[in-house]
Amino acid sequence: MILRKEFIHIFRDKITLFLVLAMPIALVLLFGFTISSDIRNAKISVLDQANDSQSKKLIEKITASGYFQVVSYPNNEVEIDDDFKSKNIKLAIIIPARFEESLSNEHEASLQVINDVSDLNVASVLNNYVRAVVHSFTEEYNSKTGETTPFDITTKMLYNPEMNSVYMFVPGIITLIMILVTALLTSITLAREKETGTMRMLLITPVKKIHIVLGKVIPYMIISFISTIIILVLSVFVFKMPINGSIPFLLFLCIIFMLTAASFGMLISSISSTQLDAMMITMMGLFLPTVLLSGFLFPLNSMPMVFQVLANVFPAKWFILAIKDVMIKGAGFFDIWKYLLILFAMAVVFISFSLMRLDKRN
Amino acid sequence: MTNAITIEHVNKVYDGKVTALKDVSFNVEEGEVFGLVGPDGAGKSTLFNILTTLLLPDSGKISLLGMDVINEYKSVRQIIGYLPGVFSLYPDLSVEENLQFFAVMYKSSIEENMELIRPIWKQISPFSDRKAGKLSGGMKQKLALCCALIHCPKILFLDEPTTGVDPVSRKEFWDILKSIRTQGITVVVSTPYMDEATRCDRIAMIQEGQILGINTPSAFIRDFQGKLYTFRSENIFSLLNIMEQCPLRCNYYPYGEHCHIAFYDDVATALPQFEQFLQEQGQSHGEIIAIDPSVEDCFIEIVQMRNALNQTQP
Amino acid sequence: MNSIEVHDLTKQFGAFTAVNHISFEVREGEIFGFLGANGAGKTTAIKMMSGLLQPTSGTAIIAGYDVRTQSKLIKRNIGYMSQRFSLYNDLTVFENMQLFGTIYKIPRKELKERIHTSLKELDMDQHANTLVEAIPLGWKQKLAFATAILHRPKIVFLDEPTSGVDPIVRREFWKLIYDTASTGVTILVTTHYMDEAEYCNRISIMAEGELKLIGTPDELKKKMAATTINDVFVKFVRR
Repeated sequence: MILRKEFIHIFRDKITLFLVLAMPIALVLLFGFTISSDIRNAKISVLDQANDSQSKKLIEKITASGYFQVVSYPNNEVEIDDDFKSKNIKLAIIIPARFEESLSNEHEASLQVINDVSDLNVASVLNNYVRAVVHSFTEEYNSKTGETTPFDITTKMLYNPEMNSVYMFVPGIITLIMILVTALLTSITLAREKETGTMRMLLITPVKKIHIVLGKVIPYMIISFISTIIILVLSVFVFKMPINGSIPFLLFLCIIFMLTAASFGMLISSISSTQLDAMMITMMGLFLPTVLLSGFLFPLNSMPMVFQVLANVFPAKWFILAIKDVMIKGAGFFDIWKYLLILFAMAVVFISFSLMRLDKRN
Repeated sequence: MTNAITIEHVNKVYDGKVTALKDVSFNVEEGEVFGLVGPDGAGKSTLFNILTTLLLPDSGKISLLGMDVINEYKSVRQIIGYLPGVFSLYPDLSVEENLQFFAVMYKSSIEENMELIRPIWKQISPFSDRKAGKLSGGMKQKLALCCALIHCPKILFLDEPTTGVDPVSRKEFWDILKSIRTQGITVVVSTPYMDEATRCDRIAMIQEGQILGINTPSAFIRDFQGKLYTFRSENIFSLLNIMEQCPLRCNYYPYGEHCHIAFYDDVATALPQFEQFLQEQGQSHGEIIAIDPSVEDCFIEIVQMRNALNQTQP
Repeated sequence: MNSIEVHDLTKQFGAFTAVNHISFEVREGEIFGFLGANGAGKTTAIKMMSGLLQPTSGTAIIAGYDVRTQSKLIKRNIGYMSQRFSLYNDLTVFENMQLFGTIYKIPRKELKERIHTSLKELDMDQHANTLVEAIPLGWKQKLAFATAILHRPKIVFLDEPTSGVDPIVRREFWKLIYDTASTGVTILVTTHYMDEAEYCNRISIMAEGELKLIGTPDELKKKMAATTINDVFVKFVRR
């Protein structure tokens, strides 16, 4: 019943509903187009040390993808460096010698990709395109030969060497949206019940506290989940983002994070008595640190130690680590169970603390 | 008569320094309309929060129909209805949705208890599709009352139900409370308005967290120590200026064109003395008429006597 | 002399007439109760009288100024106090008074003097630097009133000034109001609580945008065959 009532609240408040659903679309499109305008026909160099039929095929595939424009074929690594400086290339690919041989004999091969990471977003997106192209190249090769060929791509970062993890904007936006929708709206809706005095009315009824809270939180989790799916669909179909991990697992991860975000919202509402308080605390205490300290916009490794330590407290950091692994590396449960556990533990701690706070009797 | 509520030696201190309730004890009989009368900040809300299981007392024992509010709070919640002082329903839900919601919260339904709320519901049902936030003050109050009664509680708590409500709606509201009482529901109501106290069967006066006295309104008025008079004054301002020099033991206050005065000396001698005083000061005045004190007069007298007592015994 | 002269004052919002040709006068130094149920047009009338809202037709001369053309002067010559909003809890007594005095552009030195005199009259001069939240409710009430008259307004609007207040404090407060009125300041009281209305010299009751009843409490009680103003009001509305 509380659930139903909450949905009535949500649908009566058309502006918020619109914002919540339109914002992710706007954000994805904004980020997406800014980046994609940079990466259509990005200039690259290819150093083909193998010069065999398979390496040629790979280069052909890279060129045919439409994202890359090979502007030079340097002869050695020093020339690559020059290309970065003079020809304004965004990325260089080194195909090792004996490429075809290792594919057919050792059933594995490695590529080296050198990135100009002075522009983080572009670099990470391009990197993913390379992976996608290589992925489809491998699949084609495997389907012909019936082999399974693992590919190893080593990435080398130029001009921003601390940035050692692959970076994508989609996980970042998903995180922001989920924090914004779940935590902010949860904290506001609970604070609103306090402000209007209806929380007292609810507490005085025989309904269990946990039911009250769940009834209020679940609708926002559902909305946030819808937003997340919108973001994923947009990124995959409009911007051709690869999702390497299993999609059900990715969604499971999102649900866990939503739970954490919602519990953070509950925590905030338990220490604020008005909607305005709740909003301010969420913005300053959660949203801002999420943007700054999650590694979304600014690489964590280059921050002072204090911030690096502080970042551990906020769920966003762990979620971004996890979702990147799943989306990009295709990690499964056993690869990221630690992050899941941290997020889940945070949720449990936050929820129990705010339930305690909700009951003035204690 | 059995007791619906027994309160024994309840104390509550906030943050270790603000004393909200000090050794409060009293009983409320089953089926009566009991008024908790006192100014803002007297401790009424704190006591209400404790009675409605939302707050724990520091010490003391309270039971509602034999159930302990601390240990058996879950069963207590089943039998109490609560109308908070400020409008506490969902403004963006319609009248009917609000009622429906609270009915379900108590695992009840509107139909089940229609009998009890019918007289009130009749007045608001024409607006059942309207958003609760768009109702007038009196209507909001009636809706809130419906919501508080929807699970057929045994004890109904009303926290300052008439604050901000116009006199006509207030009168209607008290008439409704009377009809609720006939259903055998015990009603506990708090109010800062002394004039409303006369509508209760019994009242407890509370100030600074302490109970000043418990009695029927008529008994309070009967026990008033002073002799209260009123007279019309041609010039109330100059009268007030000279009253400070009045040699008699009395309490006075302006009341529109009139002055109310309570004498604490033998009236047979005090009255002529007072008339003489007015004459000496050149104050023309109307006839000095004896009147019944109001509950407010009683409240003031009790507080002043207490203060005087505290001063003599520091 | 009259400090409020209202003649045929009318306000229409589209087809709805909120205030319908009301006329009345209030003497200087009078305590005038302005009563009416919610939606009777009270608030609209008061907004027009304080220069916040232009009337559709009719005139109102407040403290000698025309509400149509001299609303700025009116604002400078009226004071306002409400039970709900009065003082900032996180400022000291002195800071509160200084703030409101500065808003009314009282010169610094003059303001300081006035605050001290005013606090002395209230017997609160030793509490000038106490935070408002730390002083008892009754004192706050008087302080709020003293603040509202710091700029020496000719008319003070009191909105439910003493509802819910300790009865002793309330009587003291009314004495303060009588004192102030005796210096020629006009007091206009709006309230839902008819026992507050009993303290007024004259009262008026508005309903459906019209001024239906006006007179001294005694006159009205006689007219409606009632013993209290509350009865007057209830009988009147029921009629």
